[in-house]
Amino acid sequence: MDWKNRDTVTVYSLGGAVVVMLGVVFWNYAQPEWKGYQEEFRELVTRKFGPARARQVPSGIQQIWVKELGRVDRCTTCHLGVSWQGLESAPEPYRSHPKEILDQHPVAKYGCTLCHGGQGYATDTDSAHSVSNANWGEPLLGGELGKLNLISNREALIQVNCNICHHNDRETKGADYINYAKRLVDQKGCTACHTIGKRGGTVGPNLTYIGDLAPEQLDYSRMSGKPSVFGWHVAHFKDPKQMVSETVMPNFGFGSKEAQALAMLVMSWKRTNLPMAYMPGVHIPEPQRTPEEIAKEQQMLTGEGAFFVKKTCFICHDVSSFGIESATKIGPDLAMAYSDVQSRFGRTLEDFLKAPTGTMSVVLSTQIHLTEAERDEAIAKLKVAYQKKTEQDAKNKVAKK
Amino acid sequence: MKSQTQASGVSRRSWFHKLGIGGLLAGVTGMGYAFVRALVPNVLYEEPQRFKAGTPGQFPEGATFLEDRRVFIVREQNTFHAISAVCTHLGCTVKMVTLNQPKRVAIGGREVEETREFHCPCHGSKYYGDGTNFAGPAPKPLACYRVELAPEDGQLTVNLDEPVSRSFRLTV
Amino acid sequence: MAAQNKMWRQLTWTWKPASDRDAGDSVVRNLLLHWFPAKVTIGSLSFRYSFWLGTISAVLFGVLCITGLPLMFLYVPSVERAYQSVKDIEFVVSFGWFIRALHRLAAHLMVAVVFLHMVRVFLAGAYKNGTAANQARPVNWVIGILLMLATFFLSFTGYLLPWDQLAYWAVTVGTNIASAAPLVGDKIRFLLLGGNQIEQNTLLRFYVLHCFFLPAFVLFLFMWHMWRVRKDGGLACVDKLSLEQKRQNLPPVKSKTYSLLGITKGRTVHVETALVDEDEHTVSSSPFLTRRILLVMLGTVAVICLLALLVATPLEEAANPRVTPNPAKAPWYFLWLQELVTDTTIKLGDFTINGALIGGILVPGVLIVLLAVWPWLDKSPVQAVGVWFAADRRRQNLVFLGIVLLVLALTVVGTFLRGPYWRFFWPWEAWPEMPAPF
Repeated sequence: MDWKNRDTVTVYSLGGAVVVMLGVVFWNYAQPEWKGYQEEFRELVTRKFGPARARQVPSGIQQIWVKELGRVDRCTTCHLGVSWQGLESAPEPYRSHPKEILDQHPVAKYGCTLCHGGQGYATDTDSAHSVSNANWGEPLLGGELGKLNLISNREALIQVNCNICHHNDRETKGADYINYAKRLVDQKGCTACHTIGKRGGTVGPNLTYIGDLAPEQLDYSRMSGKPSVFGWHVAHFKDPKQMVSETVMPNFGFGSKEAQALAMLVMSWKRTNLPMAYMPGVHIPEPQRTPEEIAKEQQMLTGEGAFFVKKTCFICHDVSSFGIESATKIGPDLAMAYSDVQSRFGRTLEDFLKAPTGTMSVVLSTQIHLTEAERDEAIAKLKVAYQKKTEQDAKNKVAKK
Repeated sequence: MKSQTQASGVSRRSWFHKLGIGGLLAGVTGMGYAFVRALVPNVLYEEPQRFKAGTPGQFPEGATFLEDRRVFIVREQNTFHAISAVCTHLGCTVKMVTLNQPKRVAIGGREVEETREFHCPCHGSKYYGDGTNFAGPAPKPLACYRVELAPEDGQLTVNLDEPVSRSFRLTV
Repeated sequence: MAAQNKMWRQLTWTWKPASDRDAGDSVVRNLLLHWFPAKVTIGSLSFRYSFWLGTISAVLFGVLCITGLPLMFLYVPSVERAYQSVKDIEFVVSFGWFIRALHRLAAHLMVAVVFLHMVRVFLAGAYKNGTAANQARPVNWVIGILLMLATFFLSFTGYLLPWDQLAYWAVTVGTNIASAAPLVGDKIRFLLLGGNQIEQNTLLRFYVLHCFFLPAFVLFLFMWHMWRVRKDGGLACVDKLSLEQKRQNLPPVKSKTYSLLGITKGRTVHVETALVDEDEHTVSSSPFLTRRILLVMLGTVAVICLLALLVATPLEEAANPRVTPNPAKAPWYFLWLQELVTDTTIKLGDFTINGALIGGILVPGVLIVLLAVWPWLDKSPVQAVGVWFAADRRRQNLVFLGIVLLVLALTVVGTFLRGPYWRFFWPWEAWPEMPAPF
């Protein structure tokens, strides 16, 4: 075959190769990993709850975007049963999330990775869990990682992330390792040498944000096993002089449990940019009011004159005998309305409210809407208010005398 | 003899040729499709169109305006429906006007008693309580959206992606 | 049916001309084909002469531009959002991982192929003029050098955009080497970075340079580069062929003796290359040149598709100015510089020779200038044009090859033999395990 024909054959072969490879790319597009999980979940739901519920299962990539935290988590693309009830014994990734903690930390407000770690951006299992991924520094703090790090309660590592928000709690429900470590910090007097937060000594390094230390910044030459920040801390807590030869930190005789708990605690001491609403125990002050002001407000909202507050009459009118005070006092005191209306307009109160004139006609046709029942209620209450007012006035007159 | 093989050779060549052109077209179309499909977003950094509005108990009788969603949740005793607050003329947010006296109007041949209307402040469109446009430049009635009860926590779920007819009611 | 066939033939005849006359016509009647001469020498088509490296570079640039277009819609050049936008391209954009992989692989390949193209042109003496009139191959050589530098800079500006640790620190190393230039070094760094630190200004100007100014520059230079190839009578091997013809004392080939329209001075290039026997040594551009170009295009695309399927596109952790990865390396095509900087930083007692200046600025600066002016310093005879490893150019070829191999060696050392703390590790020595949080 001469070169001209060889060219033609080569063109066809190369073209064919490109088309085949494009086919592989399109196959990957049509059958991503998560699609299989979604189909399996739909089957599970059909079996357990029926086809109607199965139709409610969403398809496609699911993401929870928590704007305040700048996080986007796509875990629910496969972990579809997280907010469902009744799937507590389903296999992962379809299992329901423990309800109590989810109620206090709703998914829409917190996302998933803030607590669990992992890579929220990812849509395939390996990248999302990132247990052995060197390019994503926040592995999933689950059983697999706990097992690798020889923690007796394998699922405990998640407590590291609990403490990022629950930093200032003395005790956090469900974070037993962290609570233990905090007690140790108190008992052993770590702040004698280390500054933690605002208090402490300067003999040892400042530990306030020690959790921000990157793996590259530690020296692993004196420890055995896989070099990891967690491993370094555990080894250091167990034998400080072994890890840092020039240290003056005493050996506290910590066992594995103590060292692991303390390592988890210090790794949670990170700088965060969390909005105040996420920090437990943060008190957002309300405008300061005197007890008298609070009492007055309560009285107006729940006392006999509450009707005139609810229907917004009090914006313009006092109802003095009920203790209702208007801030503007544009209109007259309604406690006197029963007689005032008669003297001013020559009509009864009932008549006037049915067919008001002047300002009230504008107000009652556009801004305040009274049903017939409400109108009757208003009239009845105004009668009571008038009675009360006249009684009070009489009493005052006697008192003056 | 020679012409026969030549002829079949020509047709074989043209078959390959067609296959080649077909393959080239397939390749180019495939690549082109891939590049264009990449620009169709699969996820959106927006508020989801399907959202939870709260438990039925949280809603008083009448219409409640959800400002950031631009939708009214209307409760009539124990039925709920969601009506859009987006004017069908040019998209302004309509204001709800509660009528002092209920009005009798004829909508679609039937007489209905109206307790509220929706007025648009931009160009004066007006709608009856059920969304029917009766004044101003609005070309269509206000849209209504599906309301469901979320099975997991019993909250009202509004789906702004699913328009429903004006007579749709969710009974709780 | 017959009408459709007729229409099809009307649209496609230039690509498959039915006769020699049609073949000559096709380059005049087709917009894309007007780029080519009517005929090309068979030697020019040879894979073994040029390896088609120039064409491959152009195809790679085309791939980069085409894949760059959807990426421009998807990537956000803001320090807060850049990393996330690249993650989104990898995970939630349909075909995003593929487009990004094609773009990255084409970029790295283009740097390598452009470099190899330069090496080929040097070794074959193709920067030299032949005997035809008005040739200016040395000028085209300089244009090529500029194209190569633009390619490096395109790759460097693109490297920063993912805003991960790899990107951030590679640019830190690269711009710090640049700041070692005497007098203007710090100013250059300040202008490059748009400030004193690698921050939003740096990202944005690198992005604009990468997406607009540098591609426009490359496109303009490329057009000039191709125009010069045509003006110079084609590839250098054509001159070699015509010189051989003269040596062989062949009977004179029929040629024209008048110039275009009888108006211009001298003889046109076409007239000069008519010294080559067209019947024996040339073929029509359409379809033989075009078919080979299609072949090379498909081959290049096939290779990057295959690599895109097999090689993962890295994305490290988000850029963290507080944490320097260990080791922090420049992109591979600048690693020879980083290694050279290390090797020229010599401590003599209290005094340390400034390796950044010597290894980072002076040595590469001198090399580039020498490279650019070499065609004017080359005194070899015209017989060496277009000849691989010509005897007359043996010494310069050996020295050049020596320098090229040194650069490659430095690159290999920087890539594979430098580990944490830039300590030297033999290939059989294991690097210490990379530490992780847990």
